[in-house]
Amino acid sequence: MESEKKSPPKLTRRNYSKIIRPVFGILVVGYILSRLYDVLLVQQAYTAEIWVRLLISGLIIGGVYALIAIGYTLVYGILFMINFAHGEVMMIGTFAGYFLFEATKSINVASAGNPPLSFSNAYPLISVILAFIVGMTVAATAGFFLEKIAYRPLRKAPRLIPLISAIGASFFLQNAAQLLFSPQVRDYANPQAIARGSGWTLIINDSRVIVTYTGVLTFVLSILLMIGLYLMVQKSKLGKAMRAVASDKNTAALMGIDVDAIVSRTFIISGALAGAAGVMWGLHNGLVHFFVGFLPGIKAFTAAVLGGIGNIPGAMLGGLFLGLVESLGPTALGISYQLKDVISFVIMIVILIFRPSGILGEVLSEEKV
Amino acid sequence: MKSRFLVLALILVMVLSACAPRAEEPVVEVPAVEEPVVEEPVVEEPVVEEPVVEEPAGEDPMEICDNDDYGCAVIAPGQTIKIGMGSPMTGGNAAFGIDAEQSGLIAVEDAGLFNGFQFELIAEDDGGTPEGGAAVANKFAADPTIVGVAGHLFSGATFAALPIYEEIGIPMLSPSATNPDLTRQGSRVFNRVPFTDEAQGNAAANYMYNELGFRKVAFLHDGQDYGKGLAEIAAATFESLGGEVVELMGITPGEADYSPVLSTIAAKDPDALYFGGYTQEGVVLTNNMKTSGLEDVVFFGCDGTFGVDFLTRTGANGEGTYHATPRTPPETPEKDAFDTAYQTRWGQAPGELSPFSWNSYDTTTMLIKMVEEVSFVGSDGSLYIPRGALVDAVRELANYIGISGTYTCAPVGDCNVEGPTFWIVENGEFVAVN
Repeated sequence: MESEKKSPPKLTRRNYSKIIRPVFGILVVGYILSRLYDVLLVQQAYTAEIWVRLLISGLIIGGVYALIAIGYTLVYGILFMINFAHGEVMMIGTFAGYFLFEATKSINVASAGNPPLSFSNAYPLISVILAFIVGMTVAATAGFFLEKIAYRPLRKAPRLIPLISAIGASFFLQNAAQLLFSPQVRDYANPQAIARGSGWTLIINDSRVIVTYTGVLTFVLSILLMIGLYLMVQKSKLGKAMRAVASDKNTAALMGIDVDAIVSRTFIISGALAGAAGVMWGLHNGLVHFFVGFLPGIKAFTAAVLGGIGNIPGAMLGGLFLGLVESLGPTALGISYQLKDVISFVIMIVILIFRPSGILGEVLSEEKV
Repeated sequence: MKSRFLVLALILVMVLSACAPRAEEPVVEVPAVEEPVVEEPVVEEPVVEEPVVEEPAGEDPMEICDNDDYGCAVIAPGQTIKIGMGSPMTGGNAAFGIDAEQSGLIAVEDAGLFNGFQFELIAEDDGGTPEGGAAVANKFAADPTIVGVAGHLFSGATFAALPIYEEIGIPMLSPSATNPDLTRQGSRVFNRVPFTDEAQGNAAANYMYNELGFRKVAFLHDGQDYGKGLAEIAAATFESLGGEVVELMGITPGEADYSPVLSTIAAKDPDALYFGGYTQEGVVLTNNMKTSGLEDVVFFGCDGTFGVDFLTRTGANGEGTYHATPRTPPETPEKDAFDTAYQTRWGQAPGELSPFSWNSYDTTTMLIKMVEEVSFVGSDGSLYIPRGALVDAVRELANYIGISGTYTCAPVGDCNVEGPTFWIVENGEFVAVN
């Protein structure tokens, strides 16, 4: 900083990139706007019901991303490390929910009738609640032990070391799941009342738009969980302690806060949220296999960075934004769906050019960095 | 510092997302045949007495090897003659690979002992991807006792693996790689038995236009060698017939929700959705169609979407969808014997996991037969297999009667070019329609 003030500005490589980046950003924004103009106002190929359908799928997947993204952001906020095994924690939650539904499906409450009425069909609400409880508990346990085994011994190590440990843990969990549960893709056995694909029907422009029960469940529940988490972090004693540890571990310890316990609880909370996201994913998309957490994990990490990593409302916003961009982007820009990840990443790069710490990213103090 | 760290992390993410983890490679050991003595009850004298049957009189075996373009594979006594197989055995398309392996294992068992040597099937997981195909091919190329490859199964993996086998002289005989370009690049080692995508694409377009009366069809593919080639051929033919191609688009394979892309297609109001790709994506597409405004649109799949997996995972959503398979094998005693063996050994009927069970058995058996034809036992008791001669023998294969029918390889390596059978799903079962 000091030396820059003294010497006259030269066109160094650093200055050069300072010019290039905004120019690149403006070009991309210009291109996006021109495509939007072309598709929305000139071609007008898509009618309202199409946009509504896209919006619905975007919000649903966005809700799931947001829940997972919160896990990244919580851990980053406290430990300044990226928990790359977070997607696998979600996968474990998905499997837990899967096995619960298999169990409730196999219990018959009334032997009369053919096929006999199973527990999950007789009491869909109870079995769904049970699935969420089991999924969240198992994933929270996984998160707890993940921290204990893979991260705690490396707490004092340089920043890259836990990151590598996280990647190792991610591979370990994936392969363990593959060995335990076989690489087969399985289907979630939803209770019939909320079967995949069933839902309320809206009539828009004489065509039916189905708002699926599982989709509504996913979206509403993820919003509720996010509000709950936000209130907990802001109002409760645990939340206060978490914020204290996040802002300064040493001072927090001096104030009588048990830092290790707070870190453990953070992992438990983020694991529980990932578990809930996993069960939602299973209920809505129906697929479960050992690799199921990988892509959502990566996407949610992107969402967390987009919203400003370390910032909880930022992660929620980033998740929903990413879901919507993925769903609406290719259609709105008239670009092939194969390129939807390219679109999301380009938009993320543009946002990071203009706001390097994310949409709601805070300006971090030096010691935090 | 922080931003640099984030950039680093992002790069890491991109690299990570580019390389899915390799599943550990299941090397499948062929269980030792329990009754090797029963196999050859008619041997009056010890076999070792005069095993050199195929050796041309008066010629030094070493000379054959020296003159061979690729040299000889030498199998020492006690070693097995290995036939490789590269197929997806994990992930959403694992059924194809598992089925091929199960069929191949039966073929190896049926082959029995040859001059005291046993055949062994080495099935490796290539994930059906180009990276996996190349990795498996390199592994096979490094093993001097692998003499032929009954695969690979998927076109993308085959493209990547082909040049590696070409260099070392390992003949390939794929039961299912159907991309037309595979036999157009003048490869010496690559052969296959299924109909080409060209034949299937043309037949599918014809069937949709003429038999089903569709005029507006959207074509989707998974962006991979097989699906993309197939969908493009079908779309071109459909257009030339006078139909309207409302969309020809790729999707990203491996996703759990395709409703956005389907909603966009719904705006174009097609009669049918043609999909070139595999079961995993076909299942998700079929399920998503019911909530994306395409509930009355017919899903028309291909031989990549056929299989019992599709039925169980789509349930009621799968009703009325179309699929294709290689021609169904005629009912012969050989087919019966294989079907029984498969059922007893694996507890399910062949053709359930994938449509390529019989092709896989045939290709493995053909490779074994060709090995038996060209190889000879040297004076040191080892089995010598001239690789170049084997490559040529597979290419020159003619009038070979297998389970699926009679095979004769064309000079480019297409051993069977007969068109597909189409199937419709009715009441949870595949019903042939032509």
